[in-house]
Amino acid sequence: MTKPIKKSIKSAIALSAVAVLGLAGCAESNSEPLVIGSQAYYSNEIVAEVYAQVLENAGYSVDRQFALGQRDVYVPALLAGEIDLFPEYTGNLLQHFDPAATATAEEDVYQALQAALPAGLTALALSGASDQDSYNVTSDFAMKNNLTSIADLAGVSGIRLGGAPELAERPYGPMGLMSFYGVTVEFEATGDTTVESLEAGLIDMANVYSADPRIQQLGLVTLTDPQGLFLSSNLVPIASDAVNQEARDLINAVSSAMTAADLVALNVRSVEEQLSSAVIARDWLLSKGLID
Amino acid sequence: MEWAAKNLDFVLELSFNHLLISLAPLVLGSVFAFALVRFTPVKLTGTIGTTFSAIYAVPSLAIFVALPAIIGTSYLGPTNVVIALSVYVAASMFFSTRDAFSQVPKPTVFIARAQGLSPLQLFVHVELPLAIPGLIAGLRVAAASTVSMASIGAIVGVRNLGYLFLDGFQRKIPEEILTGLLAIFLIGIAMDIGLWALGKALTPWTSRSAQRV
Amino acid sequence: MFSIGELFDWLTDPENWTGRYGLANLFVEHLTLTLVSLAIAGLLAIPIGIAIGQSGRGETLVIAISSASRAIPTMGLMFALVMLMGVEFRQFAVVLALVGIAIPPILAGAYSGIKSIPIVIREGARAQGMTTLQQIRHVGLPLSAPSMVGGFKIAYLQVVSTVVLAPLVGLGGLGFGVIQGLALRDFAQLTGSALVIVLLSITGERLLARAQRTSHRRLTHSKIGR
Repeated sequence: MTKPIKKSIKSAIALSAVAVLGLAGCAESNSEPLVIGSQAYYSNEIVAEVYAQVLENAGYSVDRQFALGQRDVYVPALLAGEIDLFPEYTGNLLQHFDPAATATAEEDVYQALQAALPAGLTALALSGASDQDSYNVTSDFAMKNNLTSIADLAGVSGIRLGGAPELAERPYGPMGLMSFYGVTVEFEATGDTTVESLEAGLIDMANVYSADPRIQQLGLVTLTDPQGLFLSSNLVPIASDAVNQEARDLINAVSSAMTAADLVALNVRSVEEQLSSAVIARDWLLSKGLID
Repeated sequence: MEWAAKNLDFVLELSFNHLLISLAPLVLGSVFAFALVRFTPVKLTGTIGTTFSAIYAVPSLAIFVALPAIIGTSYLGPTNVVIALSVYVAASMFFSTRDAFSQVPKPTVFIARAQGLSPLQLFVHVELPLAIPGLIAGLRVAAASTVSMASIGAIVGVRNLGYLFLDGFQRKIPEEILTGLLAIFLIGIAMDIGLWALGKALTPWTSRSAQRV
Repeated sequence: MFSIGELFDWLTDPENWTGRYGLANLFVEHLTLTLVSLAIAGLLAIPIGIAIGQSGRGETLVIAISSASRAIPTMGLMFALVMLMGVEFRQFAVVLALVGIAIPPILAGAYSGIKSIPIVIREGARAQGMTTLQQIRHVGLPLSAPSMVGGFKIAYLQVVSTVVLAPLVGLGGLGFGVIQGLALRDFAQLTGSALVIVLLSITGERLLARAQRTSHRRLTHSKIGR
């Protein structure tokens, strides 16, 4: 009875030590593999997966840290060197570093972002694929209230706006609507139920990413933004100094190959065919001849 | 379940991660709880008990997000979640361990001491074996809670089965959520059976026929 | 990362307490969801638990349910039900999920409470000519009260904990501050909300623990069983 118990206790301790060390090892980022992060947004994850695979195909080792959440969480990690590469959106990222930014056109925003990025981070080549916040209403609501632009909302009362919880504090949220357009809205933190809530009539206006396939599928009307409440936002890779020139060239090739239509198509595959980001990324890279 | 079939590799990778993230806290938490039970003066047991009851009452998400701010762990990587889950396991196992050892019959302990066993021998050959059923029972409860609580870690970016819930809800894929539920359920059952088997293996005398002399 | 001063400022700023997403309203939402779910779960689980404890039939089922239920991922259950029922019914779906989470511990508490009453006493009550209702009222409930309250205590903790996740499906509750604080990296909001949640959780737990002790004390001081 003595030996089996002693042995089991010893092996249990050994196993747990290994497990703890193993997990601790995973937690620290080695200087060797490139760490690629993504937001908790399936579309962003697909792009991150594209970066990961194109680099792995060229022989790099990659550590995926996906679904990290909002930039308020991962930007510090980027700055601290814990993440090396991240697919980002020019407009939103610019506003994160420079809340008072006035640039709205695509190129202006890109240049302003490059200037605003802190030392150690670089914005690689801009992609043609845009994906930005936009305010949408159902076509019925648009017809009923004669809406084509956000400015037209001024005549409507009791608008319920839905979006992620943090929208309440964003510069393009309710505060921005008031200061740019004089529009008052009631905010509902609908999060991932936003589009469904819009469909069900629980909210009147929804913040939906422009590359979301459901805008077309549901016939939603995206209100135009003449006052530039939203900054133009395109996909752009953000790289730390740990990413060498060869890797940067590979990523830039991806950015130039990806159009806005491509991005929407990738999203459609994710939502309709329900495939994983790894499969979707691989198929796209193969179709563009970027990997073999 | 088409979705599960199409994404099997991914689900397996997440399941494996989930298992590791559930096992490590079980080991760490139990060891910590055991150390507390054995090596803290009796006076403090009440205070420790109350503290642990309080900790156990804190919702897991609150701890997952507050821990990095309090003890400086990184948000990235599973360390944060493993530490938090270990604390929960310790809280639950503290009471189980204490009860398991306290119900070891005192006469048996006295006889063993009288026979000249050293404290270490006493512990290894008498107290521990007799406490094992209680310890295993406590572990089974802790394991079930840990496996399900670990999924909440996905909200702070930990790569485990909880991701299937968040992603499935975001992309509106019910099968993905169901796959997550099923996988966690299976892991929970596997751990439960594993612990039960471990208990049986460590206490062979309980399964011997009562007729044996 | 942040200072206690910032936390204090955040907690004492009246702006953070007012409005639809102010702490006051979120607290009320959180408490309402919790109490409603516990009440429904209690109405369902206690009679069933008493019946099973009394008759002994369905015992294995109760034990299996209560141990298996601890492994249910609350977040997954909530998401699954909201997806199934649609956004318009998300309150209903969430309450359903919460009831599902609360029933096993309450059921286990009621069952083991009744089961632990010595058969002599149960039979004695019946022999005295008490109707089933009287038996439950004068013998069953008082004697099993500590165990039942204990079951509610466990259920309370689970439910309060799960309601923290409700903002993920577009509802309110104190978890909103945690989720928005996490997104905005506003540690004062995050920790402040977490603190209020912890207070709600611990206060309820302590109250129920006290009730459990009182019902136990009343038991040993009562004339029943002497």
